[in-house]
Amino acid sequence: MENAEEKQIQWSRFADRVERLNHQGPRALRKLSGADLANLIDDYQVLIADLARARSMGADHATVGQLNRIAVAGHNLLYGQMRRQATADGSSWFGSFGRAVRRHGWAVALSAMMFFGSALASYVAVLFNPALGYDLLDDSFVEFDPASPENLHNIPSIARPVVSSTIIANNIQVTFLAFGLGLTAGIGTTLLLIFNGIHLGSVAGWMTLHGKERALWGWIMPHGGTELLAICLAGAAGYLLASAIVAPGLLRRSSALKRIGSDALAIELGCMVMLVIAGAIEGFVSPSSIDYLNRIAVLVLSLSLWAVYFFGAGHQKMIQPRVAPTEGAYLKK
Amino acid sequence: MDESVFISTPDNVSLEFELAGPGSRFSAYLLDFLYSVLLMIALFLLMLFTGAAGLRSLIHLFRGEGGWIASWGAALLILLLFAIHWGYYVFFEGLWHGSTPGKRSLGIRVIRQDGLPIGFREAALRNLLRVADMLPPPCYILGGLVAHFDSHGRRLGDMVAGTYVVMEKFARAGRSASGAAWVTRIEKGRSRQALTLPRGTISAHQIGLIEQFLARRHQLTQERRDLLVWQIAEPLLPFLAEDRDRLAKSTECTERCERLLLQILEMAQSNEAKPLAAAKTANPSLF
Repeated sequence: MENAEEKQIQWSRFADRVERLNHQGPRALRKLSGADLANLIDDYQVLIADLARARSMGADHATVGQLNRIAVAGHNLLYGQMRRQATADGSSWFGSFGRAVRRHGWAVALSAMMFFGSALASYVAVLFNPALGYDLLDDSFVEFDPASPENLHNIPSIARPVVSSTIIANNIQVTFLAFGLGLTAGIGTTLLLIFNGIHLGSVAGWMTLHGKERALWGWIMPHGGTELLAICLAGAAGYLLASAIVAPGLLRRSSALKRIGSDALAIELGCMVMLVIAGAIEGFVSPSSIDYLNRIAVLVLSLSLWAVYFFGAGHQKMIQPRVAPTEGAYLKK
Repeated sequence: MDESVFISTPDNVSLEFELAGPGSRFSAYLLDFLYSVLLMIALFLLMLFTGAAGLRSLIHLFRGEGGWIASWGAALLILLLFAIHWGYYVFFEGLWHGSTPGKRSLGIRVIRQDGLPIGFREAALRNLLRVADMLPPPCYILGGLVAHFDSHGRRLGDMVAGTYVVMEKFARAGRSASGAAWVTRIEKGRSRQALTLPRGTISAHQIGLIEQFLARRHQLTQERRDLLVWQIAEPLLPFLAEDRDRLAKSTECTERCERLLLQILEMAQSNEAKPLAAAKTANPSLF
């Protein structure tokens, strides 16, 4: 039994050591000296070998459970800290958004088609059949009176921070829905995009009928470029998830979902940032008294900045392969 | 849904994780929901009473009073409430390696499919996708059905994030000295061997049974212990020249049987060291 006690002590010593290192935070391993680290890895390998033996020879439940628990802690410490180092060297989040959007252009196109298609359809429908406006519009819009010929709302500047934050919160919530509902095979995302498109299109049609279109476009343009683009991208993130469910290819659906998850998340998080920007413009610039031309300028500027970002950001540099020494170089040495 | 999931590590050993059932997961969810609502109320009250912002400033704002501080304070409050509502789970799971206050009190946590603790990426994915699992809103019917039919009990958010929800064992289970003894012996290349006695042979399997029983006997109830020891020892009694009937009637039957089993184990252990040592010296030329 002497050996057995040694073994038991060895196990619990390793367990204590792992626990202590885990408490020291994510960089604990890098502070160890080379010998300490090698020693730790040796102990880990002894432990997992013991676990494998105990399990395959059918040792009692308590022993296997104890070993398994220590092995999990050791595995998480050793491999977890290694992984953190690996991802730190990887590409930045800034580029991953643009890259994901470029890679999944079809989803962006589909999403934009749903949103702008339904907007255009309802715009035309209301123009040719004004009675539809009473069905499609909120009551508040039917008698809407713009603040000025070039501006729909004239929000007092003191209330603008609140308006802005409310809009940001609301819009981000809409993109969360567009993203998450992609898991309903895209049905939820499509409905959301179409409803929002119809809302936009029918208001636009109604205002045009009543000669207030300049006020409407003047209001929408400064923030609209960023905001509507973000909604389309969120829809695209939803369609990415849907594609894993509808057409998983040779993978299981759960594996296909896992594979597409990173790109979909990168797009969704990018949308959040875009909507914060759009919300700030909508709260502070759109209700201000700048003239129509300046509003167009803001739209053009914001769209061109986004174009620069989406076409330019996150191109992966080609990694130059290290030139292998020629045979002769080896021979000379 | 399976009871546990085995994850193979790069070292070619599989680690076992016990999957969390729907009961503990739902209880943890309810607790977390409660905590997040309490947190929001606390934040609201804090801002209300400090007067810098919050409800009071909203009222001021509608009356056309209050300055810029009130306005920005109210804006901040709205954003903070929104962040708590959507970010509570992401924040805790990302920071606490897959645990939240509710999960912690139920003893469950989220891990990645390779057994490592999750980070903010996985936490964000699985929690933003709650909106789909919750369908129809707050019922969790879609997520519940998917988790029910998945062999690892994953809801949709777990599938996209690549995560499992597992039980975390807090207590260190009692150390089993016999287990360690066994592992030591296997490590040294000695396995159990049959024990040959003058009156018959006790198989290796039976010796294993005796070992396991003796290791566990203190955790058993007295009735169970009496029953098991008799079931194990009875077929062996003739080999040890014991009178079965007399022993069965005696009052200290269990104690006597256990002593016999210990004796067999000792004989087996002293026995098996020899043949192996003999084998090693007998034909060294083979290797």
